[in-house]
Amino acid sequence: MIGGREREVLVEQAAGAWRPVRVDGSVGALPAWADLDDAGRAEAFEVARASRRLEAALDGRGWSSTVKVVMGRIAGR
Amino acid sequence: MLDLDRHLPAIAAADQDAFGDWAGAAEGELRESLRGFAAAVDVESVLQETLLRAWQLAPRLRPDGKPNVLLRFAVRAACNLALDEARRRRRVVAEGDEALQRRLDALAERGPASPDPLLRRLIEFCLAALPGKPRQALEARLEAAGGEPDRAIAARLGQKPNTFLQNFTRARRLLAECLKGRGVALDEVSP
Repeated sequence: MIGGREREVLVEQAAGAWRPVRVDGSVGALPAWADLDDAGRAEAFEVARASRRLEAALDGRGWSSTVKVVMGRIAGR
Repeated sequence: MLDLDRHLPAIAAADQDAFGDWAGAAEGELRESLRGFAAAVDVESVLQETLLRAWQLAPRLRPDGKPNVLLRFAVRAACNLALDEARRRRRVVAEGDEALQRRLDALAERGPASPDPLLRRLIEFCLAALPGKPRQALEARLEAAGGEPDRAIAARLGQKPNTFLQNFTRARRLLAECLKGRGVALDEVSP
């Protein structure tokens, strides 16, 4: 069972927009997300939701980190 | 009602900026449609994969006489992807066909939520009020925009990954408190 600061760090990582790319080119799950229990994953979902809204509100075009990372991949294809 | 299909002709003509604007407006609804899968699949990765597929398949999509055809397609695709991933992980997910259909019907009737144009200034005010290290962590992650892992951002700032993430957590909480003090709950911020 992970607790305290370690759990907090995992939640924060899982709530970020960076994700690994699998060998087939698809988007993979983050190892930090896999290390969390169900409650931690639900918390990461809420943190990500609020963070993306904040990022979109701050961006001139309304693009969050999620949108920017996807657009970066589209531009690179 | 916000009909995001206004971007569809440009997206079909491979206009990447138009797709980005569509994705920016659609993201909140797509993420919300995956809420029931949050414990079973990594929603962020499913959402990104869904957006990539929406870009690839949008040119083949035909209007069905109702608004938000691309968003409704993407919501269905996101749920299917999440279901496949949940099954692969041998997880049971509560949300079923009825909930999905209700969501699709609502999108055809009312569309996604509109952004709040005044919110940006309030967030910028609260961001500027953050103390040094937390503010630095928040700004660095905003700048990275999901393009690199946290350990790379931390290294650039000369911090250990855990220290960087703890600073980021502190920034996020202080920002939420500042916004709440001005009548905005971060959870309720419109997409």
